[in-house]
Amino acid sequence: MYLLPARFRLQTDDMPDADDEAGRMNTPVLHAQSLTKTFGTTTALAGVDLTVARGESVAIMGASGSGKTTLLHVLAGITAPDAGRVTYAPAAGAVVDVTGGSERERSRLRRESFGFVFQQGLLIPELTAIENISLALMINGTPRRAAMEHAAGWMASLGLGGMEERRIGELSGGQAQRVAIARAQVTGAELVFADEPTGALDSQTSTDVMNALLWSTTGQGRTLLVVTHDSEVAARCSRTVRVRDGHIVDAAVSA
Amino acid sequence: MNAQVLALLLRPAPGQGAVLALPATAFAMVTALVLTVVGGAQKFWSWTDPDAGLYQALAAIALVLLVVPLATLGGAAARLSARRRDERLSTLRLLGVSPAGVTGATVLESTAVATAGSLIGVLGHLAVVPLIGLIPFRGEPLGAESILLAPLGVVAVIAVVVLLAGVSAVVGLRQVVISPLGVRMRTSVPRVHWIRALLAVLVIAFAFVFVQVFPGTAGIVITITVLAGMFAVALAVLNLIGPWALKIHAKQGLRRAEKPERLLSARLVLESPKAAWRQVSGIAMTSFMAVFAGTGVAFMSTMSATESAENLALAADIRTGLIITLVGSFLIVAVSIGVNQASSILDQRELHRSLHFLGVQMTTVDAARTRAVMSPLLFTALGSALCAAVLVFPLVGITVITAPLSLLTIAAVVALGIALVWFGVRVTRPLLGTAFQPA
Repeated sequence: MYLLPARFRLQTDDMPDADDEAGRMNTPVLHAQSLTKTFGTTTALAGVDLTVARGESVAIMGASGSGKTTLLHVLAGITAPDAGRVTYAPAAGAVVDVTGGSERERSRLRRESFGFVFQQGLLIPELTAIENISLALMINGTPRRAAMEHAAGWMASLGLGGMEERRIGELSGGQAQRVAIARAQVTGAELVFADEPTGALDSQTSTDVMNALLWSTTGQGRTLLVVTHDSEVAARCSRTVRVRDGHIVDAAVSA
Repeated sequence: MNAQVLALLLRPAPGQGAVLALPATAFAMVTALVLTVVGGAQKFWSWTDPDAGLYQALAAIALVLLVVPLATLGGAAARLSARRRDERLSTLRLLGVSPAGVTGATVLESTAVATAGSLIGVLGHLAVVPLIGLIPFRGEPLGAESILLAPLGVVAVIAVVVLLAGVSAVVGLRQVVISPLGVRMRTSVPRVHWIRALLAVLVIAFAFVFVQVFPGTAGIVITITVLAGMFAVALAVLNLIGPWALKIHAKQGLRRAEKPERLLSARLVLESPKAAWRQVSGIAMTSFMAVFAGTGVAFMSTMSATESAENLALAADIRTGLIITLVGSFLIVAVSIGVNQASSILDQRELHRSLHFLGVQMTTVDAARTRAVMSPLLFTALGSALCAAVLVFPLVGITVITAPLSLLTIAAVVALGIALVWFGVRVTRPLLGTAFQPA
């Protein structure tokens, strides 16, 4: 794994309950403290605290404009908060200050340690399905042949075998979203952020995509944070966090 | 659609200044260049002495060389203007506006932008005319007043540019498939078949036979007609082979691609070899002519001991005309590529934003798109130059030894032109950067 620059690394004291290696699996993988973020006169986050355990799947719900997407972006290091801090504890290596470091360093963190799935997939239309997935590895320096082999493995796992050479426009919405899931997972990301991953899909395809997303994340011991409007999607996550006016108003564990 | 709705739609949205300014600038460039080129040619047609025919024939060739890149630039500007409407068009469709109404709104806006741009272009033309007037031909400067077109001519040029914008907007709308949700789908790669190469070989064979049977003692009018015809054939052959050759070149690049930017750039070309060719096709003929005519002129200048003063002056004039054509052609292609790139960046804004979220560096995307332009450009420019060098091989060999400076001048102009095109891509980098800015 890539070693982060020194100013990114923190002492494990910064994270709660991180005493020994054996207990690491129970250690929070992500910890946010007093996050605030405003856009002009709009307060998107007003002192949010959130802790996510390793292997958990957390649904973030809320009305439009409640601050849920901003929260996801701040947790993922896409958006810098006005105040507060986010720390990420990888399975191996030192704890990382997600909100610290330069934009370049945060980009590197996202590229190498996090995975992302968006509502529309947002895959590169000129590339084939397998190239879209392997590109994530190639950007990190993996040789093309190895990247393609690894990507093919993920495609087969997600039921996309035989579609390697198809272009994105030749895939259905559900298939394209599974390609996006494979792209998010192929680098071995421990933490996957999904923003309305089923928002543009019908209910059956939505179920299939959530199956794929959960299998490839929590099913492999990884962690999933998903922003959704869909209560059925939220019900399939281990915990639901509700956001209103920039505050977390409810955090419930699914039955 | 009533006038109030139309006015609402045509009102520029906040932050869209650049999106309007880009096509307007491109239309301004097109108008200024067309007025300058036609104005310059007008001077040549004012001569009536026995040598005038040769100058007029050469000016006609230069005009033909500039028509292709100018048409490409006009089309690019019009497409950029039309693309701005994509999102609003989808909304209009959802609101129940008929396709004809949607087309009408787009055409109206494109022509309005083109008219504004053209008027700015006229001012630009008036600004450069004094400089162009200083260029010497036949021993004296052209003169600013002789380059200026009559008012009716200026109006005609503006009308053609605006018409081009309107037609391109309609064609562009047909090409952009917009679903009611505004999702543009690119399902299949347009095919570029090897049959093009076969057709090109047949055309070349026919042209070769035609040249053999053409009488060497034909009159000047027939010779000029045949020369222009051969030129058109050469352009047609290049247009047949070009996309296919670029496809083969990009496929080789794709096979070898180990870095993400190389993979992306090869795929960008393969996405539409025809579009890639359209961008650089103007350079192919120009580059061919640069070596072909440049070598001839250099060769003529080495014969100073035996040639008359008139012929030496003619050689100098041809060299001047060649350099002007080269600079003009590269300038148009550079602007055209800049406009195309800006258009593409605006089109892919959401995708670039998502790549930024994934941690992809802007430099990777920038390198890919730069390569997707420069690789076909270099391939086309150097390939055409090589073809010309092979055709006039013995002459090239002689002039390399006897007149290296003349050849170096042509080579320097081509290198400068390539740098100009690179700059055309480079200036759109800040626009790309906006998608990669931290939130």
